[in-house]
Amino acid sequence: MRSDNYLLKFFLIAYLIVFFGYLLGPLIVMSVTAFNSPGFPRMTPWECLTFEWFDVLAKDDRIIEGIKNSFIIGIGTVILSVVMGLAGALVLTQIWPKLRATYYTIVIAPILIPGVVLGISTLVFWDRINIMLGFTSESLFNNGIFLTILGQSTFIASYCMLVFIARLQRFDTDLTEAALDLGATNVQAFRKITLPFMKPAIGSAAVLAFLASFENYNTTTFTFGKFPTLTIELAQKVRYGINPSISALAFIIIVLTLIGALAYEIYRRRQQLALANGAPVAAVSGGSFQLPKIFRGNPAAVIMVLLALGGFSTIWFAQSYSPAQCKVDVRTQKQIIQQQRIQEIRQQRLEQQQQKSRQGPDIFGGKKTAPATGTVPQSPGKGSFGNIFAPKNLEKTGPKGEKTD
Amino acid sequence: MTQIVRDYFEKNGMGLGIFLLVAVGFWVIILIVLPQLSMLDFSFRHHLPPPEMGGPKDTYTIEHYKYLVLGAPGADTSYNVVDLGVFGRTLIAALFVTILDLVLCYPLAYYLGQSKGGGFVRVLVLLLIIPYWINEILRAFAFRIIFGESGLINEVLLTIGLIGNPIDFIRANVALYAGLGYAYILLMIFPIYNVIESLDRNQIEAARDMGAPWWRIHWRVVIPYAKPGISSGCTMVFMLSAGALAAPQILGGPSSLWFTQIIYQWFNQGGNWPRGAAFAIVLLVTCIIIVLSMMRLFKVKIGDIGK
Amino acid sequence: MSTGVDVNLENVWIRFGEFVAVREANVNIKGGEFFSFLGPSGCGKTTILRAVSGFLEPSEGQVKIGGRDMAGIGPNKRPTALIFQNLALFPLMKVWENITFSLEVQGVGKADRRKRADELLDMIALPDQGDKLPSELSGGQKQRVAIARALCAEPDVLLLDEPLSALDLKLRQHMRTELREIQQRVGITFIYITHDQGEALTMSDNVAVMRAGIIDQIADGQAIYDDPATPFVASFVGENNVFRGKVKSIDGDMALIDTNRSGALLSRMASSAKGTLSVGDDAMMFVRPEACNIATDTTPANNRLTARVVNEEFEGQIYNVFLEGSEGKEIKMSLVNVGQHRLSAKGSDLTLEYSPEQAVALPAGDLASE
Repeated sequence: MRSDNYLLKFFLIAYLIVFFGYLLGPLIVMSVTAFNSPGFPRMTPWECLTFEWFDVLAKDDRIIEGIKNSFIIGIGTVILSVVMGLAGALVLTQIWPKLRATYYTIVIAPILIPGVVLGISTLVFWDRINIMLGFTSESLFNNGIFLTILGQSTFIASYCMLVFIARLQRFDTDLTEAALDLGATNVQAFRKITLPFMKPAIGSAAVLAFLASFENYNTTTFTFGKFPTLTIELAQKVRYGINPSISALAFIIIVLTLIGALAYEIYRRRQQLALANGAPVAAVSGGSFQLPKIFRGNPAAVIMVLLALGGFSTIWFAQSYSPAQCKVDVRTQKQIIQQQRIQEIRQQRLEQQQQKSRQGPDIFGGKKTAPATGTVPQSPGKGSFGNIFAPKNLEKTGPKGEKTD
Repeated sequence: MTQIVRDYFEKNGMGLGIFLLVAVGFWVIILIVLPQLSMLDFSFRHHLPPPEMGGPKDTYTIEHYKYLVLGAPGADTSYNVVDLGVFGRTLIAALFVTILDLVLCYPLAYYLGQSKGGGFVRVLVLLLIIPYWINEILRAFAFRIIFGESGLINEVLLTIGLIGNPIDFIRANVALYAGLGYAYILLMIFPIYNVIESLDRNQIEAARDMGAPWWRIHWRVVIPYAKPGISSGCTMVFMLSAGALAAPQILGGPSSLWFTQIIYQWFNQGGNWPRGAAFAIVLLVTCIIIVLSMMRLFKVKIGDIGK
Repeated sequence: MSTGVDVNLENVWIRFGEFVAVREANVNIKGGEFFSFLGPSGCGKTTILRAVSGFLEPSEGQVKIGGRDMAGIGPNKRPTALIFQNLALFPLMKVWENITFSLEVQGVGKADRRKRADELLDMIALPDQGDKLPSELSGGQKQRVAIARALCAEPDVLLLDEPLSALDLKLRQHMRTELREIQQRVGITFIYITHDQGEALTMSDNVAVMRAGIIDQIADGQAIYDDPATPFVASFVGENNVFRGKVKSIDGDMALIDTNRSGALLSRMASSAKGTLSVGDDAMMFVRPEACNIATDTTPANNRLTARVVNEEFEGQIYNVFLEGSEGKEIKMSLVNVGQHRLSAKGSDLTLEYSPEQAVALPAGDLASE
């Protein structure tokens, strides 16, 4: 049986490695490509360390515009979803038991309905209203921000409602009765007793709503009108004009997310430590030197500080570093290789010619020549494939027909 | 009836009562019910330019649905093989992704659910969640980089010498399936994890005590218990895969057109909104039917679907 | 502090659909009284409390406070304050904020509220606890805070819903006295509900005993104990030995009950039974354990019976002897410890006597279930 155990353990670890490799690998790859100089994101071969793609990113107006729109829509969605979700949860607790299942089904349905359907139905519905009321196409009801907020809120409110329901279940209804009994009006009871209790849930629902809104694609892609969000812009770029500035954006987002996760973990740890109010801190801060209070027992904080230090030094480094020299070197390298190639081919041709003249006349020019390459080589040493700018590669996905950026 | 109304306002007071009614009413009626009805209605109308809407030509028709099934009039096949084929393939692919995710996630969900908590598990959970805070577009993009013709995997395989020419993963749809599977792992893991967490470890100990091999333990003890979580996860993954748009657009090869992409086309290049609406209705109804039958099949109630 | 205000329930019925929770309740509580509703769980006492406090409207009848009909007046507008069974202190507010909540909703300023809170904290003997959270207090302290919070609202009637049931024995006894003291000091009407008859009897001026929605008797503690109105009251309050039989004869206040095998026994009739109990009726006779004694030679036949000793318990102050009567029913006899040693051998027969004036006869009816 022991060997069984080891075998199982081995498989478990292998499984975990594969699983998390699958999960995290793409992120790591993407991050690395943000720093590689070739115009198409790749990890190998590694050419030059460069930060230029971050620069390109910063100068990309459409991306900036997209971020702005995403924020506006995000805030609007948060407000609408939290309000509707809270109302929905409160009504659920009060509704007639027989109606409860039906009601719950209706308000949960938006989660199950495909996002595209939500987007389309929102678009169609408000368009009809627009026409019925005789407004122009510039009216509010056609406005991309308006439509997107509504479309997203339809299902994000459901998520918020789930958060609120979970929180409400722990609420002691005697408390509102006590408040009423002591003379509070219903509104006062709600404001002073129920709302403060719901505050943490409101906070997490708001964060959830914002994140969900920010990254939404399926619904937004139908409703955005003239106000593309960051996600929409990204999608356009990914389909039609890839360059590592997208990787750069991805890297930034990953780092921000990590920071967010660490911050959250720090917050939670501090809460836990605060609860264990008098617990011996000695057990935690064993070691030759004492870390300042915030760090005790808080590995997340330590990592955070290290990251910050690393981040700052990298940025400082990036300012002063220029890959120009490296690029020139690479270019020269490639040119040399090209020259060698051309030499080899000339050699070959010469030899073949000689062979031919021995064999007799034949149709000339039937031999293949090396693929023509420009003086700015974009492809790595192996030249026979990987020519990603060929038309067929650009058209791989998306609707038929070329769309330029 | 009026008693109910009176009780409601007594319980909540005028201000709060009105607020609740307005908020929920707006949400349910104006955001959920009416748009769907409107889309349904729209799908039965002709494709008309705006000035003509509401005019004499604006009658009801099922031409769009007919189109989906029968294809354009005068085409060489009697059924709309292309669109129907895409529809069928979308569903099958979604099913495949669901099964893939289930097989992939079940062991981890089980491990997480049965472990005693603690730092390691928390780290795992954190690692699990972080990829999801990254935009789905970027995730799909990452897969594009990896699976592309000059992507990482091809490079590695070529250097190792396993293959002579790069494999076109994209054409082979492998990239798409990997990308889709990746996208919904979280949604599959958490329902199963939640259910398994509430499973009494003693049951498993008892089964092991009685000499059951590990696969039988899972088959007879764990899986039946975890059924609500499993079906909840599968339902969500299936629905989301069938309705996915970003991943097929970014990772799909020419042979893997997704039904949602067809709908997208009708709304953009095709410019035929009613037709797009009709296709969307078909997708919606199919998803509803499948979800309901899954729920009926595995005896899951609507209340179980909630994270 | 307000002086006592009357509370009247006139012909109150409370129904939930088909189910009748309270049936034809008629209760008159005088201002300044400590009044208890006593009964087993589910008897309707909580329902009555909620009807008085305003969370329920009676299906029929009227609830009057201070002579005013309270129909349609919500709980926040009634001059009542309710102390919940689980206290319902606001967990996110400090103790002093809890106490002065009723002032807060009236818009009273923070400084004034703080002052008032300090006064009340002194009154409940928790002078420096104002800034703590309820979760940091002990059970007894939370109780007192709940009382202070209710009193701060200056109600005319204070309603208490089994407030002591969550406390341990010593604390409960201590709080009983305290509550009574507070009530007498403050002088407002207290309406108290409980299933513990010890509480009801020691604290109240008057008690209403309830079962299944019906009020069986309203009287002061002594009357409830010595002169129960129904067999339920007789068996629910304190311990009582039951003897069943038919009324053989009636002579003034006394009735002779012909039991099956214990012979004819003499007993006083309950006040409620005078006039309703007649010869030939099925009757129950109740004898308290402490009313029993070991028979002497001079005990008349009508108040003596023989039973077999089953067990003997020494409780310190009291000797309890458990016997099996001739109908197989258990009879309990309690003797004060005067230094006697073992009274009888197990299994042997013992003849005991009781005082007919202490016994009580009632028409046969439902007993309190075990």
